[in-house]
Amino acid sequence: MKKRITVIIVTVIALLTIVSYLISERLNAYQDIEEVIEQEFRTLRQYVEDVYAIEFLDDDRALVFYSWDFPAFYNFGVMELEKTWRGWQFVEAISNRMERKRAWLKGTYAEIGDHAILRGPTWASVDKIEIITADGREYIPELGRAEWQMWYLILEDEPFEEATFILYDSDGEVLKEEVLEFDLNWPE
Amino acid sequence: MNLSLKYRVLMIVVFAIFIGVFLYYYGTKARQEQAVAEELREYSYIAREYALDAIYKSTEFPVEVELYPSAHTEAILERWKAISDRYPELDYPEAAIEARDWIEVHKSFEDTDLLNGVIRKMYKDATVTSEGLGVSYITLLDYIFYQKYEASNIEDVVIDLGIEPSREEE
Repeated sequence: MKKRITVIIVTVIALLTIVSYLISERLNAYQDIEEVIEQEFRTLRQYVEDVYAIEFLDDDRALVFYSWDFPAFYNFGVMELEKTWRGWQFVEAISNRMERKRAWLKGTYAEIGDHAILRGPTWASVDKIEIITADGREYIPELGRAEWQMWYLILEDEPFEEATFILYDSDGEVLKEEVLEFDLNWPE
Repeated sequence: MNLSLKYRVLMIVVFAIFIGVFLYYYGTKARQEQAVAEELREYSYIAREYALDAIYKSTEFPVEVELYPSAHTEAILERWKAISDRYPELDYPEAAIEARDWIEVHKSFEDTDLLNGVIRKMYKDATVTSEGLGVSYITLLDYIFYQKYEASNIEDVVIDLGIEPSREEE
């Protein structure tokens, strides 16, 4: 009698463990990253946010390019998310106030996780940006669109303090050429 | 099953302890989360008002927040200091600003009566009339934080007082 009860209890506990593990696995697999992002912004109380792009660095790491506090102000940011056994989790978010008015282009440097990121707002009519550094390296940053347009570059090599940005419209015409400086020691 | 009274009492006690621990744990957790949410709301407000760059870090609660002044923050502080230099009753908390304790910094704007006094004095010294414009401490805050001139003639006042250069010079 006693033996039978023990066997039943052990079996039930084992089954419950397996079932809950499977459920959590499935929930994580189908977890909508956009919902997670929304939830994280709610938690951080960074309201009226706009997501411009989501970049997956690998299966369990993602960078979200966003702005918050639109339309009153413009805080352009990047957020790192990591997939753990509990699903996608917020790791770090860096946002900088950049005034979009009266400027074709703004940009800030930041390190998030082990990545160097350049990002900022640019005009809606800009279709392509070319970056040329002083030592002759060339990059084409990505453009993300939401309420405004945001450019961003995930640097794989050495960061640079200054570069020329050439802005093109959709016909390939040069709209503007601008030199941006980056403070590589930010925030300190 | 025929359990003895001793076992039944023991089971109930164990069960009660279990529920007690459970309730205590969730109660504490909920309170903690509420406090964190409150704090984050304050940080987000301060970051917005003072145009601060922000870093939020967390793998676990609570979220770590670091706020740094941006170029726009410096402009806000300059306008604030210019007024405070002339009207010292409006405190400019240099030490707290230096220490980047923004929540402490913002306490200087808590007393609306004092702010109303400052703006009234400014209008009086500049001999600019504020009649019919509904000028109040909000006008002062709008000017310091957003350099907002609309809905009042505060621009005439700050130019007249020499806080801002006149329009021709620009």
